Amino acid sequence: MSFEMWAEKYRPKTLDDMVNQKEIVERLKSFVKAKNVPHCIFAGPPGTGKTTAALCLARDLYGENYRDYIMELNASDERGIDVVRETVKTFARVKAIGEIPFKIMILDEADNMTADAQQALRRTMERYTETCRFILCANYSGKIIEPIQSRCAPFRFTHLPRDEHDKYLQYIAKREGLTLLGDALDAIFEVCGGDLRRAINTLQAAASLGKPIDSKIVYSIAGRANPADVQKMIETAMKGNFIEARKQLREMIQKYGVAGSDIIRQIHTEIFRLEIPEPWKIKLAEIVGEIDYRLVEGADEEIQLSALLARLVEAAYEMKNAKRV
Amino acid sequence: MYQPWTVKHKPKSLKEVVGNKEAIQKLVEWVKSWNWGPPPKRAAFIYGPPGVGKTVTVEALANDFNMELIEKNASDYRTEENVKRFAGLASQYGSLFGKKRIILFDELDGLTGTADKGGVKAITEIVKVAQCPIVLIANNAYDPRFSFLRNYCLLIEFKKPAVNEVLSHLKAICLKEGIQAEESALSFIARRSEGDIRSAVIDLQALSQGKKKLTYDDVAWLGYRDRQENIFTVLKMIMYGKTCDGAKRAASMADVDADMLFEWIYENVPNHFTDPHDLARAMDALSLADVYRGRIRRSQDWSFTRYVVDLMTAGVAMARAGSKPSGWTPFHFPARVQMLSRSKEERSLQLEIGHKIKRKCHISAIRASKEIIPYLKIIFKNNPKMAAGIAKWLDLTPEMIEYLAENKERAEEIKALIGG
Repeated sequence: MSFEMWAEKYRPKTLDDMVNQKEIVERLKSFVKAKNVPHCIFAGPPGTGKTTAALCLARDLYGENYRDYIMELNASDERGIDVVRETVKTFARVKAIGEIPFKIMILDEADNMTADAQQALRRTMERYTETCRFILCANYSGKIIEPIQSRCAPFRFTHLPRDEHDKYLQYIAKREGLTLLGDALDAIFEVCGGDLRRAINTLQAAASLGKPIDSKIVYSIAGRANPADVQKMIETAMKGNFIEARKQLREMIQKYGVAGSDIIRQIHTEIFRLEIPEPWKIKLAEIVGEIDYRLVEGADEEIQLSALLARLVEAAYEMKNAKRV
Repeated sequence: MYQPWTVKHKPKSLKEVVGNKEAIQKLVEWVKSWNWGPPPKRAAFIYGPPGVGKTVTVEALANDFNMELIEKNASDYRTEENVKRFAGLASQYGSLFGKKRIILFDELDGLTGTADKGGVKAITEIVKVAQCPIVLIANNAYDPRFSFLRNYCLLIEFKKPAVNEVLSHLKAICLKEGIQAEESALSFIARRSEGDIRSAVIDLQALSQGKKKLTYDDVAWLGYRDRQENIFTVLKMIMYGKTCDGAKRAASMADVDADMLFEWIYENVPNHFTDPHDLARAMDALSLADVYRGRIRRSQDWSFTRYVVDLMTAGVAMARAGSKPSGWTPFHFPARVQMLSRSKEERSLQLEIGHKIKRKCHISAIRASKEIIPYLKIIFKNNPKMAAGIAKWLDLTPEMIEYLAENKERAEEIKALIGG
């Protein structure tokens, strides 16, 4: 077994290594062949190979010293307008030396950039097209402003199909000398939903136990590794246990730093998946909306979300009574 | 005979007064200036928080300068008529017995609207023409009621003395009373008093009466208990209040600030509102109170505080319809507050680890700290060899390794493997 992060170790190095996103890879290869790359948007869910594709493209284009020609910026960490004005601009305007006349700027998690920063970026992209091409990676292309979208070639990444997913994990298991038992892969696919990074992390954490990996181990790892288990919290509330639900909420916010806005978005999604009478779903959605608004108004996340939990407890209680009548 | 130490060990001279040296100097110079006739400001207005020695200073001053002190405080009625009777006294500097005199109006905050009608106005009239020094004392000189009066006064602010100053005062008392006190015990009392010397002395007496020794344990335990008892009473009055007024009044009795009281209520509501409808209503009241807190933060308009208090007290009290008090349910200290200080450090460490991961794994530090760290924790807990490899690869600090391993021995084991 090797002792680094497997998700990194087994990241494909070249476009040829990439197992999935066949059509995308073919188009990218044609860029390499032409030695020209347009501005691109790589959109798709986490763990589908967006960053990997960008890095592979760069390596195929520039060779082993590709790092000298690219810059990776992470918009979640550095998303303000100042970064665009300074870091991005400084990088973009200096000409590359070598066969290929432009450099590549990879903007990861670009949908987390502020609108102001995106506006500033739009100018930079236009002015320095000669010297720099941009690849924007994002979960939702909808969060990228229109003017930028119209300047970029769009690439839509999708989850790995099940057989590709399995093949990849089996390859890693073989190289690391792991034993995968029967339904382990089913379990990984179920809990990670085709997010390959998460799948590999889950596999490595499971392997760290030093036992053959079965579905039970996978589930227990997934349970411990996913603090934002909103579904479980809602279940707890609907069972009438407010205090326990509030404790779970508190853990998420305080211990793991999950944003209130993320939690409420997930609650909203989960509401419509609950097995409750249809009219109740819309009633609950309205309550969620009211609390969301209070959050936007700048109130305390835990207080507001626990008030929401109390409403869920109340709703479940009313539904139970209605059934009895 | 029982005598309060606040009286028994009261400073007799200005030299013995704890703290506020500059303010006292200002006061002394002002009194001395009376020797050349009435100065431009004929009254000194001393203001500051309770128990910092405002009144004591004036008494010590009169003593040092051998002056006759004539005092009026909130226990006297101070209607216009009442105050006017002082006008005669104030018209002469010297008294019948040849002593110079100083007039003190203490506890001016206590002047209430109706009972002491015209009191402030009458005091202002006296101050304008006074022939002897007049000292006014209040907690807040900037109360709008005093805005006109202030024009005629020399304002002198008394501040809370430092913990050290309170501490040495307590030590002096212990010496006189023949009590052997642990330094930590006295400093606990001093700190708890938050600059209120009077309350510190009262606490000291209550805790050491009849003892020759005072240890930290005596003090810490008792101090904790009376604070807790206060908050329990307040919580009971709020959560089981029958009237809005009663619940609101309880809030003013609490010896914690409004934000802390909010946390106490928020923590304990679910245990005391067992009916789901009541609970939802009570939590909604807290949620709305919190919305007002947000509005205050943004607008900086603190007058909205009244709605916060209304909702968190009366709003919660009125939520009760179906819930019956089920025996005696204890109140708990707000767990959120306990967690908050711990998790702040934890979060910043998480982010630092996130930055280490970012350098290697092409993922933002924020996402890494949320998505990768949980897996690392599992690995660090179960597989020291793999953990050591990753720690080396990511260049983690010993502190980070300890955090991820969640166990000292395991962390040592991992560190040893890296070294070897």
